[in-house]
Amino acid sequence: MHGMMSYFLRRLLMVPITFILITLMVYAVFRKTPGGPIERAEMMLRQSQATEGGGGAAELTGGEGLTKEQKEQLLKHFHLDRSIPVGYLIWLGVWPNDSGHFSGILEGDFGRSYRYNDPVLSQIASKFPVSIYFGLIGYIASWIVCIPLGIFKALKHRSLFDTGTSFLVFLGYSIPGFVAALLLMLFFATDNYGMKIFPLGDFRSQNWNAMWEAGNYWWCIKDQISHTIIPLIAYMMASFAAMTILMKNSLLDNLGADYVRTAFAKGLPERRVIFLHALRNSLIPICVGIGNALGLIFAGSFLIEKTCNIDGMGLLGYNSLLERDYPILLGLLAIGVMLRLVGNILSDIILAWVDPRVRFQ
Amino acid sequence: MLGKAIYLIIVLALGTFLTRKVIPGIIVRIGRLMGFRMRATPITKKRLQRFKSIKRGYWSFLGISILFVISLFLEVIVNEKPLYIRYKNHTAYPAVRELAAKWFPFFNISTFTSKKDFGQGGTSGVDYKLFKACLEDSKNFDPMIERTRKRVQRAEKSLKRLKPPTKDSPKSKREFYLAKKAGLASRKKQLADLLEAKKAFEKGDAYILETLYPWSPSSRRKDLGKMAFHPPSLAKGVPLGTSSNGRDILTLLLYGFRISLSFALIVAGVGYLIGIIVGGLQGYYGGWVDILSQRFVEVWGSIPFLFMIMIIASMVTPTFLMLAILLILLRSWLGITFYIRGEFYREKSKDYVQAAIASGVSDWSIITKHILPNSLVPVVTFAPFGIVAFISSLVSLDFLGFGLPTGTPSWGSLIREGLDNIVLYPYLIITPVTALCITLFSVVMVGEAVREAFDPKVFSRLR
Repeated sequence: MHGMMSYFLRRLLMVPITFILITLMVYAVFRKTPGGPIERAEMMLRQSQATEGGGGAAELTGGEGLTKEQKEQLLKHFHLDRSIPVGYLIWLGVWPNDSGHFSGILEGDFGRSYRYNDPVLSQIASKFPVSIYFGLIGYIASWIVCIPLGIFKALKHRSLFDTGTSFLVFLGYSIPGFVAALLLMLFFATDNYGMKIFPLGDFRSQNWNAMWEAGNYWWCIKDQISHTIIPLIAYMMASFAAMTILMKNSLLDNLGADYVRTAFAKGLPERRVIFLHALRNSLIPICVGIGNALGLIFAGSFLIEKTCNIDGMGLLGYNSLLERDYPILLGLLAIGVMLRLVGNILSDIILAWVDPRVRFQ
Repeated sequence: MLGKAIYLIIVLALGTFLTRKVIPGIIVRIGRLMGFRMRATPITKKRLQRFKSIKRGYWSFLGISILFVISLFLEVIVNEKPLYIRYKNHTAYPAVRELAAKWFPFFNISTFTSKKDFGQGGTSGVDYKLFKACLEDSKNFDPMIERTRKRVQRAEKSLKRLKPPTKDSPKSKREFYLAKKAGLASRKKQLADLLEAKKAFEKGDAYILETLYPWSPSSRRKDLGKMAFHPPSLAKGVPLGTSSNGRDILTLLLYGFRISLSFALIVAGVGYLIGIIVGGLQGYYGGWVDILSQRFVEVWGSIPFLFMIMIIASMVTPTFLMLAILLILLRSWLGITFYIRGEFYREKSKDYVQAAIASGVSDWSIITKHILPNSLVPVVTFAPFGIVAFISSLVSLDFLGFGLPTGTPSWGSLIREGLDNIVLYPYLIITPVTALCITLFSVVMVGEAVREAFDPKVFSRLR
């Protein structure tokens, strides 16, 4: 047990190091690139000047972009007047900012968005439920489909059913999720082929909230489900093939093991041997995946959310990239990396917990 | 029509010959030059035999590789520029030159052919489609001639209005007059050239040999009219339709195939080479090298690579090479290091390696001659799945708009265009998605067959 403890301690120690290296790298990249808040403000100013014909904002700033003081103010506001290491430490929350307070991600302050000037965390929090909705449902649904399918394929190894579904599995492996969503949308969400069953994208209908308040719950549920199905299938595509094959191979491995042979030799009924002895052990690799799925569930997917126009974390990240809203991107990256690192350790802990034979060194 | 069929057959036959005979020979030669023995051991022979016996994988492998080899010569198969063009004593090989320019970018090979030399009057590039139309029916010269004639008349009129300058009129006025005069002369020359060309074409003193599918991915289909979005129609000669800016989708797909596959092959090849070196060093030397570099690989692997590439691509438009390097650095070399490290670890402890160490063979020869040939199984089994992943990565990046520069024929940008027009023009989405799925599926089939052949799992069950 001592070896295990030191193993996990070592792993935990690696988490902050990895985290700091990655975020520092990205922070430095952001600081070195054009397109910060000043460029953003100047662009908006120019646009407003163009629409208002030189009045309004131009008078305020003397007609020539931002004044020097305004620029300095903006830089100060986003801590861009500091050097990169200091700026990073302020962002991290271990260096006092201008007002002498520690206010960084360690204190739960992720900074403010360049675009909307509201806290990054509230932006992320507002998109969070959508991504976790699809992430969780997708993950659970792929368990429901893949585990029985894998078991069945293992029991009927090399039968017609096995080869037939193998074809499906390989098809699922080779088609990226967003492409599957596109095809489904093409066939079942547009009128081109006369099979318009589902809506074309979006998380729910525009008037969903109004309908919910009006007490039209049944309509709301139906609407939500019809909006869910296409993205859900796309989400499932990602893990479908890997999980099914993992389940099948692990069950086949166990069915060939000595302890199963012994159980049969004792005269236990086949059902009991398979479902009580072999299956329990072959579920171990599947359980271990839970930790890794943590980051996946959180992060959503750029591709699927862009394809299906779902306003979740992925689309937030995509739009922030287009708008160069670096505080939001840094925040998303920090949370994503952290969850992924913790998820890896969680996988190890789960493995050690469900499988007492495992010894980490 | 018959000519095209023969052309197609020649292309396929040459492609097959190159893929099956020439290229394996070249690979063996290069391997020998690098000091490897390049002879299959009995085990490898058996594995290859097993791979060949898995029909769907073997045929997918042949199909994909023959298509890829043919696509390397796409400029002389699918190109708006003709293979050969002749007018009187002027000849040119624009498509061949373009292929050469693609393959030898440092030689500065020009593909330009001037209108002046090919009886079209003017100094810009030859309009090959017009050339062809004129060959078929010399009446097609008439609008051109009419236009030039009008220009000549206009130039004459404006020249008449000007008074001829005398000796003591200012210099600028004299020069202006001379320039006008020269302009008129050149217009007249153009008209004469055109009239002469019409006669020459009627006599058959001109010739053009077009490629198999005479359209390019870089220019729009002008023959279909001004509108974009032409749905697929065999009668009009657009088997897969045109994209939103009027470019032929079939050509985009074919050139996109070459770009996707060569991108994936480069990323996988270079990445695995780095992975083999790093993993081999880790496994062979062990100790601190091993521990430190493993930690590094762990940290490096936690970077969300697609996100990082998108961040970098949002700042500078990446080129093909830059994207490949980014993907190699951030992803493709990582996965294989663990497996190679394990293989090296295992092989090093075996007797034959210990014997080689005891008899004083240098580390370098032990690694390259003894261990490496015996530890390449994971590379072979992972490569097809890696290729699938890298093709999808490129398509995803292009789809999101963070990939290759706009104008490059890529499947991802075609799919994006399809999504933007999903309601009105469904054909835009179906073709690139089908091409992508077929390609990826065949590569997966190859991968599955390779895995089955190289690393067979034998399951024994009592009941």
